[in-house]
This record gives sequence, C-alpha cells and structure tokens, in this order.
Amino acid sequence: MALVLMPAVATTYWMHIAIVVLLNITYTVALFSVLRMGYLSLGHAGFIALGAYTCVVLTVRLDISPWWGILGAGVMSGTVAWGLGAMTMRLRGIYFSLAIFAFGEIVVAFFRAFDWFGGPSGIANVPRPVFFGHALNDHFSFYWLVLCMSLFFMALLYRLQYTRYGATLLTLKTEASERLAQSVGIDAARLKTATFALSCAVVGTMGAVHAQYLMFINPQVFTFLTSTDLLIYAMVGGVSHFWGPVLGAGLLTLLGEQLFSAGYWKTLVYALVLMVVILSLPGGLVSLLDRVRDKWFSNLRN
Amino acid sequence: MLADKQQAIFQRCSSMSLTLLLQGLAIGLVNGALYILTALGLTLIYGILHIVNFAHGEVFMLGAMLVYVVYVLWEWPLLAALPAIALTAAVVGWLVERGIFRRLRGQWLQLLVATVGVSLIIQSLSWLVFGAQEKNVPSILPGVLVAWGIRMPYERLAAAGIAMCMVAALYAVVYKTRSGLAMRAIEEDEETARMLGIDTDKVAGLAVALGFALAAMGGVFVAPIYSINPGMGLEAILMSFIIIIIGGLGNITGTLVAGLFIGVVQSMGALLLGAESAHVLVFVVMIAVLIFRPQGLMGKL
Repeated sequence: MALVLMPAVATTYWMHIAIVVLLNITYTVALFSVLRMGYLSLGHAGFIALGAYTCVVLTVRLDISPWWGILGAGVMSGTVAWGLGAMTMRLRGIYFSLAIFAFGEIVVAFFRAFDWFGGPSGIANVPRPVFFGHALNDHFSFYWLVLCMSLFFMALLYRLQYTRYGATLLTLKTEASERLAQSVGIDAARLKTATFALSCAVVGTMGAVHAQYLMFINPQVFTFLTSTDLLIYAMVGGVSHFWGPVLGAGLLTLLGEQLFSAGYWKTLVYALVLMVVILSLPGGLVSLLDRVRDKWFSNLRN
Repeated sequence: MLADKQQAIFQRCSSMSLTLLLQGLAIGLVNGALYILTALGLTLIYGILHIVNFAHGEVFMLGAMLVYVVYVLWEWPLLAALPAIALTAAVVGWLVERGIFRRLRGQWLQLLVATVGVSLIIQSLSWLVFGAQEKNVPSILPGVLVAWGIRMPYERLAAAGIAMCMVAALYAVVYKTRSGLAMRAIEEDEETARMLGIDTDKVAGLAVALGFALAAMGGVFVAPIYSINPGMGLEAILMSFIIIIIGGLGNITGTLVAGLFIGVVQSMGALLLGAESAHVLVFVVMIAVLIFRPQGLMGKL
C-alpha cells in the first residue's frame, strides 16, 4: 500500500531511493533463489551487466524498442546462465562459485575490450521505454515500471517456492540428500540449472531496467563489489526465509544510500556487519524476528 | 569457414619470425611462473583445510603494498623487509584462522562468505589508508637478458626463479617434515588425525599462516614488476582461481602445470588473437576443463 501511495507524497530524491531499493531487493531475492539450494553465485553482477549491456546494445546500437531490449536482456542472461549452469552445476558447489566468479569478471572485461560495446567509457543516452505514448522520463513514472517488474518477479520467485518444483529444490541442498533425490528419479542437474537460469534471467531483466534508469552503462557499474553487496544483503537479512533477503537488501540499501557518499566506507561497514552476522547471528536478522515472535507467543500461552 | 580462419592464422605465423613465437613462449612461461607464485598459498590452504580463501588476493596486494611502505618509504634493507612482511602476513593468517575459520569449520558456504568478507575488509581499508594512487617499487635488478633473439628483463626472470624455489620449498615442507605429514593427515581424515594425537587446531593455524605468508611473498616479488594499487588483488585472485581449477583444487603439482600452461596460452593467444581475446580464451580453457576433466589436470592432492 505504502509502495503504491509513495509517488503521491515523496520527493524526487526519495523516489530515487525507492527505485534503488526495489532493484536491490529483486537482485537479492534472485540470488537467494540460488542460495536456497546451497549454491553461492559470486558473479551475479556479471549477469546483471550482461542483461544491461544486451538491452543497451539492442536499443542504442540497433535501434530496437526499449521494451524488446528489456525482454532480450532477460533471454540473453537466462540462456548464458543455462549453458554455464549445465557445465558447472554437476560439480560440487565450490567449483560453481569459482567458475561464476571468473565469468563475472570476464564478461565485464569482454565489454570493456570492444569499442562497439562502448569500451572503458561505456554507452550513454540509453532510451527509456514509452508506455502508451507516455514517455517514462521522470523518476515518478519510471518508479511504476520498476515497481511492477520487481513485484512481478518477487511474486514469481515467492510462489515458485511453494510449488512441487520449489519443494524439490530444497532436497538438493546437501550432497547426501541430493543423491537420495536422484535415486527417486529427480533430475537434479536439470532442476538446478533451470533455477540458476531463471535467477539470472530475472537479474538480467532488472539489469536492463537499471541501465535505462541510469541512462548509461559502463564496465564500472556492475562489478564484483555488486555481487558481494547482494551476498551481504542476503546473509545479513538471513537465508533461512524468503523475507530475509528482502529485509537485508531493504535495510542495508537505505542505510548505505543515506550514510555514505564514499564507496569504500560503505564496503568496509557492510563487510564488518557481514562478519558480525556470520559469526554471531548465523540466521541473520530474520532469525531475530523469529526469536522475538516465539518469545511473544510463548508468553501469550503462559 | 574454420579452415579459412586457420589458414589465416598460419599465414600470420609464417610471416612472423620464429623468434617472435619463441619470445611469446618465454613470456608465457615467465608469466606462468608469476601466476604460480600467486596461486601457491591458495592451493596450500585449500589442499589441507578445503577452504577457498577469497582473501588471498588481498593478502597478495598487502604484500606488495607493505614492500612499498617498508622498502621505499622507510628505506629498510631488503633482507630485513622480507622476513618482517612474511611474519606480519603469517600473524594475520594465524589470527584469521583463530578468530574466523575455526569457528566455521565444516560449513563451506559460511566459510566462503567469511573469506569474501575478510577480503572486502582488507581491500576497503587499503583504499582508505593507501589511496587510489598507483605506486611503484624501483627495480632491484635492472637490465634485460638477450639470448637467441629473446629479450627478458632480469627482474621477471628472478621472480620466476623465486617462484620455482618457493614451489620446491613448499614441497619440502608438505612432504618431508613432520608438520607437513600432519597437514596431509588432516587433509586425509581430520577426525582420525585427531585421534592419533595430532593437534589439528595448531596444524590448521600453521597451514593458514603459511598460506598467508606465501601470498604476501608473491606480492613482494611482483611489486617491482606490476604497478601497485589496492585493486590489484582482485585481478590476481581471478587468475589464481582459474589456475587452481585447471590444475585441480589443492594440488601443488597441478598448480605448477596449470600456471605454466595458462601463462603460455595467454601470451600465445595475445600474440595470435590480441590481448583482449586472450582473456576470453583463458576462460574458455577453464570451462573446457570443467566439462571434460572436472577434477583438474592433475586430479586431487
């Protein structure tokens, strides 16, 4: 409700914050859908960048409508992720993490290397979509696009958890249970690959929207630090529950945007928070909420 | 189509002199040795504790930074600077094992995230303390070796030689000493090792300290070759990860072979296809290894 009413009361600055928060939450929820089956992607920023670049190249270089650019971005990221996942997800999780990390770095180096992709300085003047003759040129109208898309993807990923497919994914978390799942006829490798591809398609699509919001793209926008930011949001929020990553991304992005103008202080504080949470609060912030709720209920019962 | 391309490449080759190819090979081997220097500590820590230490690249960067501070700014003699840096890194490693790794033993995901956290802390602190300005350590061994038409700076040759010595030293430690035996025992089966009276906590601390010291030494020896900034660790760790995947995680011989192999692939790729494509080529080689030989070229330790 607050999300819908927001444009009526907020200033441009707060609309900017809201857009960034929504983008980060969607990225983190997508990362979480992979984390949930025990795989850690250290290169999700690479897929965001891949989507963003696909959209920018389609719209700026090839003059295709921004809507098709967004769609193309999702298809591109999803397809590449499917291929990479099929190759690396048969192996133990650590190989996957390292290979995806390497991919994240290489993909940006690739775009940097060719002038057609903008080289080190990137591509500017990215067009925004036009919605039934209404150009989404200000923060307020663009907010609606971001809001609709993030709510759609979050609802999709949330709902998928409670389907048969989503329940099966939980069995792939450890090596032993995965073997058990395979013994009853579950095609583990395919399920994992599909999940990873879906997650990357989501972040690729949102990356395209992100690039349209910024109206430019260059190799410094989505780096390894973006991947680690997402990871920190998820871990700090807590990965035992869908709302953990939402909470973590929302809170930390709000804090980060408010408190720090300098990037390195932000990274330092984020990393310190991450270490504290990992070492002393393994369930993340949501586990705190759980604890409070349990206490409250047991008090009620007594 | 493919034949056409091959034809074109061969024509370029024959028009190039043999010397150029030899030069490429030599650069590849020396660069490969530098990669090995970087990746060695990573292999050691993974081989014994099954921890992929993401902070490795940052310790490498810290080694290079410290040699700048201690040797260039404070003008310590080299022979005092090296042990001091190695010792500092070892102490940091021991503390990290004590405070973080030990508490998360057996949870690979949390461990990986924790090492990422450590790496971010070291990196952002370095940006804040040392600034973004590129730093240079003056050449300790100036001059260029010329032989059979190949040119190679002494500096790089010396660093490659040191890399090989460090591989030999690591072999000696892991395979010839009692601590090395204990390390291999832990790798094999930690519980049994503990039952046989091995102080696994102590050995794990030792292994991580040694791995951190190796990383810092790698940074020290490449400091005169590369220009130094707080972002160099990320690049270093990317190559190191590719090399340990290709060589087999935790396998010292594999790191040796894969390091030289990737060095040559990269320099030859740069020679024939251009420097940017060489990066992508290295990645393709890694993916090919993951598909056809996921255990790495040399298999497990």
